[in-house]
Amino acid sequence: MEALQQFWDGLVSQLSYLGKLGINMLPGLQYTVGLFAVTVLLSIPLGLCLALLRNSRIRVVKGLTGFYVWIMRGTPLLLQLFFFYYGLTFIPVVGPYLTMGRFQAACVTFVLNYAAYFCEIFRGGILSVESGQYEAAQVLGFTKWQTNLKIVFPQMLKVSLPSVSNECITLVKDTALITAIGVTEILYFAKSAVNRDVDVSAYAIAAIIYLIMTYGLTKLFNWLEKKFHY
Amino acid sequence: MSMITVRDLRKAFGSDSVLEGVTFSVEKGETVAVIGPSGAGKSTMLRCLINLESADSGEIRIEDQPLLDNGKYPDEKARRKICSKMGMVFQNFNLFPHLTVLQNLVLPPVNAKKYTRPQAEEKACALLKKVGLEGKEQSRPSELSGGQKQRVAIARALMMEPDVLLFDEPTSALDPQLTGEVLAVIRELAREHMTMIVVTHEMGFAREAADKVLFMGDHVIIEEGTPEEIFYHPKDPRITEFVSKIL
Repeated sequence: MEALQQFWDGLVSQLSYLGKLGINMLPGLQYTVGLFAVTVLLSIPLGLCLALLRNSRIRVVKGLTGFYVWIMRGTPLLLQLFFFYYGLTFIPVVGPYLTMGRFQAACVTFVLNYAAYFCEIFRGGILSVESGQYEAAQVLGFTKWQTNLKIVFPQMLKVSLPSVSNECITLVKDTALITAIGVTEILYFAKSAVNRDVDVSAYAIAAIIYLIMTYGLTKLFNWLEKKFHY
Repeated sequence: MSMITVRDLRKAFGSDSVLEGVTFSVEKGETVAVIGPSGAGKSTMLRCLINLESADSGEIRIEDQPLLDNGKYPDEKARRKICSKMGMVFQNFNLFPHLTVLQNLVLPPVNAKKYTRPQAEEKACALLKKVGLEGKEQSRPSELSGGQKQRVAIARALMMEPDVLLFDEPTSALDPQLTGEVLAVIRELAREHMTMIVVTHEMGFAREAADKVLFMGDHVIIEEGTPEEIFYHPKDPRITEFVSKIL
């Protein structure tokens, strides 16, 4: 009977500890969700523009965007994060003007990095649209922009959606990287709690928060894929 | 004035010569069938007429406007204006798969500011009825049979009210039992004196529905004449051989 009481008390105190940890981490959510939202909202349109430039017939434009994509995909995101936060300041003359706050630097880095990935996803999507679609649009008097906007992009979107979904889920997890430049996001709080209490439960709580976010995204994209199916 | 005049049209893909001096004209209200063996340049010739391919030299006049004058093309705006008088129906339909049948028909004239949306919808419904697809307005192209898709494509081309309709092998991608319903629509247009150029392998159609038949072979027009002349009294032995194999 006493053992049961002990077990019960232990369970309650453990649960209340975990609950407190979770609540304490919530302020970190604003940075995690904020970075995710900023990156998705800005890098997708930027990636789309890059994809159009990458498919351009002008060789210099095509080459330059190719180079950009190569740099952004070819180096670690963490390295880019350090570069934009710590590195830019040291550039002669313009350096002082390029100095950014932690979260600001994180946003810039993520937008530029993810735009390169979205560029390649959308480029593939655009290439998958049959040449007959362009021909039909031409003989029906569509302008170039009407063709892109009303014929090519919707078809590209359908093809690209599974890859975009994958990229967004990766993005949720990548937000944890900004703890390395001291942004107080979820993992930052988890790590402090682990160090303070010498108890790894905080990591489990952080993992659960990430899992809830990725689960929601998975459901959202499944719904979108159904909606765009034809 | 002829509707379409083509003189000494030449075109090569790299070192492969496809058109070696094609000359013909099409009068208003005429149905012209273009027949001949594969690789003769029939489709390329048709695609040159509507600026989907650019020819190397020669002359193309559409309602007396030069699309190609002595091997030179006018600027894009002028080309678009000239080509807007023509419609084209493709072998593979090329319907827009993400749009419904009705949207496929309504989008082009609304884009070109030819009609407001309600006007375009009214016209679209009338045309769908004409091609026998009443009630399919909200279907997606993927839900239609090949013959139905091609009839939608014809209706879509008619939405732009072209003076000339070009058909590039409109029944070649269809099962034999579906070609009839598409040919019936084209025949109906011929009765209404729509000016049409039809590249086809349907000899029965060319013989019965065409006012004029162009026989293309070896990258030129070997002979042109009435169906009677081409099918029963050809002058060139190549035509005799081709017709005897097919009929």
